[in-house]
Amino acid sequence: MLFKEIVIFSELFLGISIIYLVMHCTFLAVQNKYPLIQTSVLYLSVLSIFFSVYLVFNEPLNVLELSCLNNTFINDYTSFLSKLIIGNLSVFCLLMMQSYILNQKINNFEYFLLILFAILGLFLLCSANDFLTAYLAIELQSLSFYVLAAFKKNSTFSVDAGIKYFILGAFASSMFLFGSSLLYGVTGTVNFDDFRILFMGDFPKNNFIEDVDLAINILDTSKITIDFIEDLLESLECKKVLDTSEILSELLSYKIDKLVDIFYKPGDFPKNSIENVDLAINILDTSKITIDFIEDLLESLECKECKKVLNTSEILSELLSYEIDELVDIYKPGDFPKNSIIEDVDLAINLLDTSKITIDFIEYLLESLECKKVLNTSEILSELLSYEIDELVDIYKPETVNFYSDNINLIKFALVFILIGLFFKITVAPFHIWAPDVYEGSPTSSTFFFSVVPKLAIFVLLLRIFYYSFFSFVDSWRHFVVLVVIFSIIVGSFGGLEQRKLKSLLVYSTISHMGYSLISFSAGTFESLQMLLSYLIVYSFSGLCVWSIFLVTNLKNNYFQKQNKDLTDLVLLGKSNYMLAIFFTTVLFSIAGFPPMIGFLVKMGIFLTAMESSMYFVALISILCSVIGTFYYIRLIKILYFEKVLVGKLYYPINFQNSVLITFLFFLLLFLFVNPTLLFLISHKFSLLVFI
Amino acid sequence: MIFNILFYTFSSVLLASSFMVITAQNAVYSVLFLVLSFLSAASLLFLLKCEFLSLVFILIYVGAIAILFLFVVMMLDLKTPNRSENNLRYFPFGFIIGSVFLTEIILVIAETFKTNPYKNSVLTNFYVNWYDKIDVFTEIQSIGQVVYTQYVLQFLVAGNVLLLATLAAVVLTINTSVKSNNKTQIIFKQLSRNYKNVLIKM
Repeated sequence: MLFKEIVIFSELFLGISIIYLVMHCTFLAVQNKYPLIQTSVLYLSVLSIFFSVYLVFNEPLNVLELSCLNNTFINDYTSFLSKLIIGNLSVFCLLMMQSYILNQKINNFEYFLLILFAILGLFLLCSANDFLTAYLAIELQSLSFYVLAAFKKNSTFSVDAGIKYFILGAFASSMFLFGSSLLYGVTGTVNFDDFRILFMGDFPKNNFIEDVDLAINILDTSKITIDFIEDLLESLECKKVLDTSEILSELLSYKIDKLVDIFYKPGDFPKNSIENVDLAINILDTSKITIDFIEDLLESLECKECKKVLNTSEILSELLSYEIDELVDIYKPGDFPKNSIIEDVDLAINLLDTSKITIDFIEYLLESLECKKVLNTSEILSELLSYEIDELVDIYKPETVNFYSDNINLIKFALVFILIGLFFKITVAPFHIWAPDVYEGSPTSSTFFFSVVPKLAIFVLLLRIFYYSFFSFVDSWRHFVVLVVIFSIIVGSFGGLEQRKLKSLLVYSTISHMGYSLISFSAGTFESLQMLLSYLIVYSFSGLCVWSIFLVTNLKNNYFQKQNKDLTDLVLLGKSNYMLAIFFTTVLFSIAGFPPMIGFLVKMGIFLTAMESSMYFVALISILCSVIGTFYYIRLIKILYFEKVLVGKLYYPINFQNSVLITFLFFLLLFLFVNPTLLFLISHKFSLLVFI
Repeated sequence: MIFNILFYTFSSVLLASSFMVITAQNAVYSVLFLVLSFLSAASLLFLLKCEFLSLVFILIYVGAIAILFLFVVMMLDLKTPNRSENNLRYFPFGFIIGSVFLTEIILVIAETFKTNPYKNSVLTNFYVNWYDKIDVFTEIQSIGQVVYTQYVLQFLVAGNVLLLATLAAVVLTINTSVKSNNKTQIIFKQLSRNYKNVLIKM
C-alpha cells in the first residue's frame, strides 16, 4: 500500500531521517557529555533536506495519481514547485547561519532538528488537501518556530520573543481551527476537493443571499414562461403578434420586478406558518397580473383588426369573469369564511384553481384562434405551467430558504476566521503587532529562517483554500483582503521610517511586501496568481540575500554579542568591503523596486494585475506608499556609501562558504533581471495548475 | 442487574465526592476528592459504552488538570482556616447559580427524555439489537480503525508534533555546561607544569 502511495515519499524520508537524527544526536550527546556537534548535525540536516528535495524533484506528477491517502494529501505542480523552492531556501539558510551559530555559541544540536521539523511542516503544508492535515502541518512548523525564537535562554529578549510568539501563534491557530470546525459543522467535510465540488457554481454572488436566491429562482421560472409564450406566439405564426410578444416580455419582466420587490421585503417574509400564506398571496397577485396582461394581449390583438378574435376576446373576458365569479361562488360554502382568505387550505385550493383557469383560458384562446396544430403544444404548455407552479411552491418554502442563507452566512463567517488565522502567520498589518518584537528578540538566525522561508507555504495554503475550493465566495472575502492590503502597505511603509535597527526595518519591509503580494491574491485572475508566485520567489531570494549580508557583517568590537544591528553598524561598508556593499546596494534596489532590477518587474506586474481587475484605488495607494517606502532603503544605501564619518567599522573576515553563497544569490538576482522569462514561465505554469 | 448496581454505586460515589469537594476543609483533600469524582464520572461513561471519552477523561482531567491543581495547591501551602462561621455568606449567590443550573437541567431533561410509550404494554424493554450479538466494535476499536487506515498520515504527523514538543521542552529546560567537559581545571597538572615540559618536540 505504501508503495502505491509513493506521492508522499519525500515527506516520509524527511520524517524518518529527522527521527534518526534525533536518536543519533541524543545517544552521542548523552554518552560523551555533550560534545560540540552542531557543525556535523548541520551538514547532516542539509544532506537530508537535499535528498528529500531530490525525491520531490524526481516525482513524475502523473495527473491521475496526484492525491493519495484518501485525498487528504495532494502533490501537484503547485506543491512540487513550492517544495523545491522551500527546500532550496532552507539549504541556503542553514549554510548561512553556520558561522553565526558558532559565533553566538548556540551549542545545542537541537537547533537544526527544530529547523528540520519546521521544514517537514512546511512541506506537508504545501501539499495538504484538507483542513486536518493543514492544521497539523501549521502546528508542526509554528511549534518549532516558537522554540527557535526562545532558543537563546540567557537572553531576556529571546525568551520574551518566544513567549509572545507562542501566545499569539496559538491564538491564530485557534482562529484557524474555529473557522475550519465551523466549515465542518456546516458542510460535513474538511476536504478541499469536496468544498470545491460543493461550491462550484457562481452561487452566492452578492451580499444579500436570501433574496438573491429567490430572485434567481424566479428568473429561472420566468425564463420558462417567456420561452413558452414566445414558442406559443411563434407556433401561432401570427407575425403581427410578434410585436406584442415584445410587449409581453416587457410586461413579464415588470412582473418579475414586482415579484422581486415583493419578495425582497425581509420584514413580512418569513413568519412561522403564515409564510405560505404570504407566498400564496403573492402568487395570486402575479396570477392577477397575468390575467391583466392577457387581457392587454387581447386588446392589442383587437387593435390589429382581428375581428374574429374580438368576439372571442369578449367571450373570453366574459368567461373569465364568469369563471371567477363561479369560483367565488364555489368557494363560498357555509363552512368557509368568506372574507378571510388567509387560511392555508383555501389559498392552496385557490392557487391551484387559478392556475387551472389560466390554462383553460389559454386553451380557449388557442381554440378561438382556430389553429388546430397548436393544440398539442398547448397541452404541453399546460403541463409546464402546472409543473412550474408546483416547483414555485416547492422553492418558496421559506424554511429551506432560511436554512440555505444561514449556512452561507456561517461559511463566510468561518472563511473570515480562517483568513485571520493565516494572516497572523504571514504578518500583515492589523495582525502584525507581534512581529517587530518577536523578530527583534529572537536570535538572528531564527529570524532569518522564519522571515524568509515559511511565507510561500502559507500562501500555497491560502491559494488552496480560497482559490481552489472557495473561489465562488470571492466577492465576500476579497473586500476583507483588500482592506488588509491597504492597511498593511501603509503600516509597512510608514512604520519603517522610524526604525533605527536593521532588524525592525526588515520586519516592516516584510509587512509591506506581504501587503503587495496580497494585492495580487485579492485580484482573482490567472495573471494575478502568476505575479503572486513570482513576487514571492523574488521576495524570498532577495530576503535571503539581505539577511545573509546581515549575518555576515560581524562586528569586531561587539563585546555584548548583541543580536541586533543598528543601521550605523554598516557605516561606510562601501569603503571597508567594496564588493559586499555593491551586492547589498543591488539587492536593496531590487527590493525597493527600482527600474532595472527584477524587483521592479514583479512589483509592476502586481500593480498591473490590480488595475486589470479594476482595483484602481488600491493600486494608487500602494504605488504612493511604495514611493514612500523606498526612502528607507535609500537611506540604508546612503549609510553604506555617503556618511560623513571618517572611520568605518571593522568586521570579522567572511569565510569562503558564505562568500560563495552570497555571490551565488547576487548572480541569481542579476540573472533573473537579465532573463526574467524563467521566473514568469514557472509561475505561469503554477498559476494555470492551481485550479486543477 | 449488575449494570444497575454499578451505575448507582458510581453515581453515588460521584455525588458524595463532589459534595466533599466543596465542603472539605483542607484544599488538598478537596483536590483529591475532585480526582475521585473525575474517576467515578469516567467509570460512569465507561458503563454507558463511551470508552474513548472516559479514557480521555481520565487522561486529561485526572492525569493533567487535577495533578496541576494539586501542584498549585501544594505549592501555595494554604493554611486551613476554620470556615464554619462564613459558610452562610455565600449562600445567596450560590443559591442563584444553583437554581439557574437546576432549571436548565430540568428543562433539558423534560425536553429530551420522553416517557417510554411501550411502558405498560408487553413490549417493555424487549428490544434486542441482534447485530450487536454477532459482530460488535467498541468505540476505541472503531476510532482506531479510522485512525490507522484513513488518517494514517495525520496520525503520524500528530506523533511528530508530540515528539517535537518533547524535544522543545527538553531544549528549553536542559542545562548543559560545555565547560565541564573541555575546560575543566586539573590542578595537579597546572602545578606540575614547568618551562621544560611545555614545549613538545615533534
